[in-house]
Amino acid sequence: MSEILWAEKYRPRTLDEMVNQEDVVRRLKEFVRERNVPHLLFAGPPGTGKTTAALALAHELYGEEWRNNVLELNASDERGIQTIRERVKEYARTVALGKVPFKMIILDEADNMTSDAQQALRRIMELYTATARFCLIANYPSKIIEPIQSRCAFFRFRPLSKEDLFSRLRYIAEREGVELTEEGLDAIWEVSAGDMRRAINTLQAAAALGKVTAESVYKAVGMAKPKEVSEMINLALKGDFVNAREKLRELMINYGLSGTDIIRQVHREIFSARSSIKLPDDVRVEVADLVGEIDYRMVEGSDDEIQLSAFLAKLVLIGKRLRESTRSAI
Amino acid sequence: MSVNVPWAEKYRPRRLVEIVGNKKAISTLMTWLKSWEKDIPNKRAVLLYGPPGVGKTTLVHVIANELGYELIELNASDIRRAEELERVIARALNTSSLFGTKGRIIFFDEIDGMSGTEDQGGLAKIVDIIERTRIPVIMAANDPWDPKFRTLRNLSLVIRLNRLRVHEVMRILGRICMSEGIKADPAALKAIATMAEGDLRSAINDLQAVAQGRKFLTLEDVQGLGRRIREYDVFTVLKMLFSARTAEEAKAVLSRSAIGYDMLIQWIHENLPYQYKDPEELWKAYDALSRADVYFGRIRRTQNWSLLSYALDLVTAGVAMARKHPYHFVKYQFPKRLLMLSRAKSARQLREAICKRIARQIHVSKRYANAEIIPLLKVIFEANPMMGAKIAKALDLNKDMIDLITGDERCTKAILKNMRQIEEEKEEGERKPFSPLFT
Repeated sequence: MSEILWAEKYRPRTLDEMVNQEDVVRRLKEFVRERNVPHLLFAGPPGTGKTTAALALAHELYGEEWRNNVLELNASDERGIQTIRERVKEYARTVALGKVPFKMIILDEADNMTSDAQQALRRIMELYTATARFCLIANYPSKIIEPIQSRCAFFRFRPLSKEDLFSRLRYIAEREGVELTEEGLDAIWEVSAGDMRRAINTLQAAAALGKVTAESVYKAVGMAKPKEVSEMINLALKGDFVNAREKLRELMINYGLSGTDIIRQVHREIFSARSSIKLPDDVRVEVADLVGEIDYRMVEGSDDEIQLSAFLAKLVLIGKRLRESTRSAI
Repeated sequence: MSVNVPWAEKYRPRRLVEIVGNKKAISTLMTWLKSWEKDIPNKRAVLLYGPPGVGKTTLVHVIANELGYELIELNASDIRRAEELERVIARALNTSSLFGTKGRIIFFDEIDGMSGTEDQGGLAKIVDIIERTRIPVIMAANDPWDPKFRTLRNLSLVIRLNRLRVHEVMRILGRICMSEGIKADPAALKAIATMAEGDLRSAINDLQAVAQGRKFLTLEDVQGLGRRIREYDVFTVLKMLFSARTAEEAKAVLSRSAIGYDMLIQWIHENLPYQYKDPEELWKAYDALSRADVYFGRIRRTQNWSLLSYALDLVTAGVAMARKHPYHFVKYQFPKRLLMLSRAKSARQLREAICKRIARQIHVSKRYANAEIIPLLKVIFEANPMMGAKIAKALDLNKDMIDLITGDERCTKAILKNMRQIEEEKEEGERKPFSPLFT
């Protein structure tokens, strides 16, 4: 038997199966009964069930016909105006099949759409209301332009409670025949920060190692992280800029990570208690500020490698200053 | 004197007082030469270096003349194979001087012009001569920072001759005009001097080209000359940029570059850590490059090309003004990132294909698939080949894809073995319901 990742295998297929977000579920079920759905905007932190709710809603609305009536796009991958103009418009204008008179277009990670694309989308939402309803999904609804927000019914997804998350993890562990300790659960909670998908992924990775304990959870998380991130930071702090930049290039070119992916991992690494990076707390704060500045410059700029190299150059300087201050303290 | 004599030759200084600029370097050289009168000094050789046309050869000639030395000179036009050198030097040293001077100087001019193949062993021979010499050895070079000169540098007192300042060049051009009976507009002389970039010889050549045979020289006359700007290869451009003393000098580099600014940025980026060893300098330069990049991002998004000049100011002047310490030459490297990118092209496409499959099947973006799911798969594939094989089947991954995820041949084999096993069990499972018919 082949099987997909647990996070997908145990994704709720119906609205009733969803373990939390009762308000959201209640209102969505209303739409299903009426067979009428307004444009929707789902907002909330990652792993709180936004995509699941959208897919479940589509299932319940269209039944077996759902694949013919739903277009699912991820705006992070297709964020430009071109996609909106061509694929979305083309799909939106054609008539729906089956009992429901409209089709559904799920735009995941819609907050990553360019503002041009959002402007184009706004038009399409108006023009094709009769044949298409949109479900926009976003972590940061403020990045969705106001005219679109005002056209949508707004749903806020709350962060998951520890209990909800744990009961789901226990359920999965039981079904998969995995031994799961309380410390293991706590460790998963810590690394997943309430993100259900990340939690289930972590559970599966730890389970691949055997019994799920705090130790196996941290080990799995450590194995998943490219070691180059902490190596890069440590090299820079030691003053070896050239080799630190070499690690950066491995991360970008060999691992195919974007600058934003890397800077986030750097941020996690700086503040992680289990990190190999040892810095005084005031310096951690300084580095965090720098991380933010570089993240901002990457969003504004055009060449991530140059921005991250600038970050490493500053780390070299900070490292030198640290060594000098410890020397003078002695 | 005949009209045909190049002015640069005609007005070449004959005495020390006529030499302009580089006072400190000259006095260092004088002191060293005079120290030979007492005993053999610690450093038996001097390595004079500096850009073309600042007067290295002239200085050695003038100084030898003033102090009464005879020069035994060898330059790039002489053959400098080891045995050739040995022969020339030995002959020079064994012949008593015809002029009755008190001593001799061995002068190797243009040593960086020595060819690796033709002058085989030449450099080693020079080193050997320096170690044994009982008379002063002087060498001149434009660029002595090639690693092959390391031993020579260590053996020598290294003296740098700087580019001449604009006003210094102007003063000489003025003197020449006076001798030639030309009334010159100072602005015209300044234009020539500025363009020469501290190369006095080329300034004098330029002056001769526009002023010879005239009574007056105006700024207009000189402007025709302005178009003779050379394009430089990237190595020279980097050297010009990193050694620029003023923001203006640094900015001028762009118009001289044979490669476009976007490519030049990659070269600067690659070479910053080699050029700037001081963390303070490195950060300042990278900060400038990073800010420039922010402008480039805005230009790309808004198509507001008027922002370009700010970006380029940062790329040139911003990077050059980060320098605190004196410029030193480094061997500039080709941007390694570009090599890596072209080598990694097929791996990138494969990764993209994997991400696409993951994204479609588990409803995430390709970016999330790459940053979060592929590392997760790697853990599972390594730790639990059976679980990994099931996932690999579900995602329909082929051998190359699995290999890219695991990065480990043994691990890939284990996954593939488990996949085959699953396949066989499945076939058996499919056959079973029919088996009662055949028993």
